Amino acid sequence: MALVFLACFLILPLLVVFAQAFSKGGAFFLAAVREPDALASIRLTLLTVAIAVPANVVFGVAAAWAITKFRFPGKSLLTTLIDLPFAVSPVISGLIYVLVFGAQGWFGPWLIEHNIRIIFAVPGIILATTFVTFPFVARELIPLMQAQGTDEEYSAITLGASGWQTFWRVTLPNIRWGLLYGVILCNARAMGEFGAVSVVSGHIRGETNTMPLHVEILYNEYNITGAFAVASLLALLAIATLILKSAVEWRQKGTT
Amino acid sequence: MSIEAHGIRKKFGSYTALDGVDLNAAQGKLVALLGPSGSGKTTLLRIIAGLEFPDPGSGRVLFHGEDVTDLPAGKRKVGFVFQHYALFKHMSVFDNVAFGLRVRRRSERPSGASIAERVHRLLELVQLDGLAGRYPSQLSGGERQRVALARALAVEPKVLLLDEPFGALDARVRKDLRRWLRRFHDEIQLTTIFVTHDQEEALEIADEVVIMNKAHVEQVGTPQQVYDKPATPFVYQFLGNVNILRAPALVGGGRRGLQPEEPDHEGQIYVRPHDIEVTLHDAGGSGISAIVRHIHAAGPQARLMVEQVQTREHVEVEISRSELTDLNLRVNDLVRLRLRQTHSFDEDYAI
Repeated sequence: MALVFLACFLILPLLVVFAQAFSKGGAFFLAAVREPDALASIRLTLLTVAIAVPANVVFGVAAAWAITKFRFPGKSLLTTLIDLPFAVSPVISGLIYVLVFGAQGWFGPWLIEHNIRIIFAVPGIILATTFVTFPFVARELIPLMQAQGTDEEYSAITLGASGWQTFWRVTLPNIRWGLLYGVILCNARAMGEFGAVSVVSGHIRGETNTMPLHVEILYNEYNITGAFAVASLLALLAIATLILKSAVEWRQKGTT
Repeated sequence: MSIEAHGIRKKFGSYTALDGVDLNAAQGKLVALLGPSGSGKTTLLRIIAGLEFPDPGSGRVLFHGEDVTDLPAGKRKVGFVFQHYALFKHMSVFDNVAFGLRVRRRSERPSGASIAERVHRLLELVQLDGLAGRYPSQLSGGERQRVALARALAVEPKVLLLDEPFGALDARVRKDLRRWLRRFHDEIQLTTIFVTHDQEEALEIADEVVIMNKAHVEQVGTPQQVYDKPATPFVYQFLGNVNILRAPALVGGGRRGLQPEEPDHEGQIYVRPHDIEVTLHDAGGSGISAIVRHIHAAGPQARLMVEQVQTREHVEVEISRSELTDLNLRVNDLVRLRLRQTHSFDEDYAI
């Protein structure tokens, strides 16, 4: 039963994506993917991921480390804030950025004066993506680090290690698989994010279109095969992510 | 190095973990911090180690007369062994023991060769040489514990602090290891404080026992002192089985006769099960009349549950197996009890 469900709702659509992508032959597929606007969207997506994911690794690890290894006032507030991007619809996240940085927004006039473009430009896309994917790393690490407790860190400290040494030599090796897992999920979401990015991007072809936005445009122009060709690249990324994820899970099981 | 703590207070939110606690461990002694869970003993140990700090302005911690209250853990030169050992899972036994030496500043760090030499010497000391290449997950509980001990000793601490050192081990290993720890302590002569909730353990190996309850120290003394002369009802109960009898039973019992003389007296009498003598009722003589309700004879001692005829209070009695055979006791037999040694406390101390 579960298998039929899976086949209908997950595997079948995936097959359709690839079938559609190659429905006009390999040459058409290559042309659709190599078209300058498509290449620009791929480049933009990779750029966004290259900035958003490392930023969220740093934020996520720092937040998880603070929440699980220390007692401080405002801790539960911080925990709640981490979940905020999950709680809010991505479209609204995007709108908030428009309200803050857009031409009519709070900082809009100041930004225009200094000739800094955030909304309808690459910085806005990166900001929105970073916001939406923020919880993945922290969420993955917090339960893991909570379960591990603080004894090993305290051990290191009584043995004379500094805070940095404790982090690099004790904490990080203990969370490495969980961290990698979080990075993979964060990466997948950063590539596929549509809602928030759609609001802040302005859909300027060849400039502010990420892969998901490009797919939508092609689709709206009835270039179904072209849309599916680019979509199949995203799907391929998703499959690669899943394989990587299971590999990490398998490793994780092996080490504990 | 001696360890002193004066007037330590510690609150976690509204919960008081330590309420003005003093402690004094003389140079080279093995001191047990004994108490039930939640009595504050682990918090006290962590404060001595510098892993927690006493509430501001409340008290001081002194090592060899020197105030270390504001020193961080890494600067106190303490060896701390955690209850669950807290070994670094991703490092081999060798790397675990070497950790404290490798994190030193370059100017103070021994060379690789001398680190290796010291690690092997320590592993030999804890009888684990040959396991240097193993990972913690490949070791038994007792072995892990000794690795943790070797790791703590690698930085040449001035004092050794052990949090429930045998808590996570099974009963047999536990006994072996605590005797080993005692011999080991005599060998290295390091002032050692260990936390335990097991009175047998504390009484067996410690030079001095500090009994804690509800954020306070109840009594300090040698194992024999605290066992023979418990200062409070809590200590009496905590250090072994005890019967708490209403006073009339004693006033009427003991060597003075059968009749309760002051039925209104509220005081309580404490008597250990092995301090009660049992004779058959038919044999005559004095003593409290009681009926045998249950006989538990599995073990080195036979335990009887008897019910006093007059007060219907239950009393636990321990007699030797041979006595049990001699008396030829059965359930529902009538016996007389004589209390060899009893203890009573002022009402002020009542718990």
